[in-house]
Amino acid sequence: MAGILGVEAHDGNPHVSPGKSKADSQEACVEPTDLMRKEHYMFLLHQRDETVIDGVRTKQHSLANCVDCHVSYDNQGKAIPINAEGQFCQECHVKTATNITCFSCHAAEPRYPKHKNITSSSVKEINELANNITYDK
Amino acid sequence: MINRRKFLVKSATALAITFVVPSIISNKAHAKKPLAEKVSDKQSWGIHIDTSKCIDGCTACVDACNEENGLTGFGRPETDSQWIRKVTVKSNTTDKITTMPLMCQHCENPPCCDVCPTGASFKRIDGIVMVNQHTCIGCRYCMMACPFKARSFVHETLTQQNTNAPRGKGCVESCNLCVNRIDHGSETTACEDACNNLGHSAITFGDLNDKNSKISLAMNSNNPRRLRNDLNLDQKVFYSNI
Repeated sequence: MAGILGVEAHDGNPHVSPGKSKADSQEACVEPTDLMRKEHYMFLLHQRDETVIDGVRTKQHSLANCVDCHVSYDNQGKAIPINAEGQFCQECHVKTATNITCFSCHAAEPRYPKHKNITSSSVKEINELANNITYDK
Repeated sequence: MINRRKFLVKSATALAITFVVPSIISNKAHAKKPLAEKVSDKQSWGIHIDTSKCIDGCTACVDACNEENGLTGFGRPETDSQWIRKVTVKSNTTDKITTMPLMCQHCENPPCCDVCPTGASFKRIDGIVMVNQHTCIGCRYCMMACPFKARSFVHETLTQQNTNAPRGKGCVESCNLCVNRIDHGSETTACEDACNNLGHSAITFGDLNDKNSKISLAMNSNNPRRLRNDLNLDQKVFYSNI
């Protein structure tokens, strides 16, 4: 899909936030990168009502999945909250002077290991990513 | 030539094939809702509690709920969130003492939704009464309206929430029948699992519309009743042997 549209993941640039995320290794986000930059909140806004009121639990525009994929890990393999200083969400939102209110209620770290959706293969993948990163702080 | 006996046997067999067999097959077939599908009124979720099996002093259901939904206290029992709690009641007439878990009763006519000024307190089409925390303004009218004191208000800034249970300061919250688990196809709630794990099996969750569900079977044999039936709220949580 990314190839057909000619869209490079993150325009060819990896995340600039410290640490390393699963998203860095992906070809493309759930929608074209340009669209995600401008409209990600619209996808989330639409999805939140469908989820809370109608019980739709698809993963494509789910905030939990954004966090799972975009959260960075330090070199101990520990997740850094995605709204921490310099992290994926926070970085742009500081630049644009826009508060993120999502994380006053929603988890800013990936699903807990006890969560059923975390499989042994995804833990392994995340651990490998975490092993290959350097995070100075 | 067909006699009366053969006719009756054949009719009964035909009826069984027409009605009974498809119902058995379809029960298995619609066990799990696809994630992309909206919930519908085909299901009506409820809980049955057999108080004769509920043990005085046991808080397994409360602990499991706290764990499932990340309810961590601040050492202030007056205001810390409680989605489910253990209560002990005594009958005025017989002096019988009953201990039982009490949570949101998931009313068909919920007073919390009547009084909510923003529509944040709502009843999902499958009967789960919950708070849409995106639109809750924290006025706490619903807490005052609820006859069962089932709702809690979050007074403190929270961190480390569970992914499956978003919650934060300034919103009201209550039992949502583990809605995240149910939408992902689980057939049990956290409190039911905990109660079963201890071998008490006092709590039974399930679909009240399905005559063969475990809750319907438990209801058939236990003469269940609603709390404060005089209020005509038609709750979906039933109690036996109070």
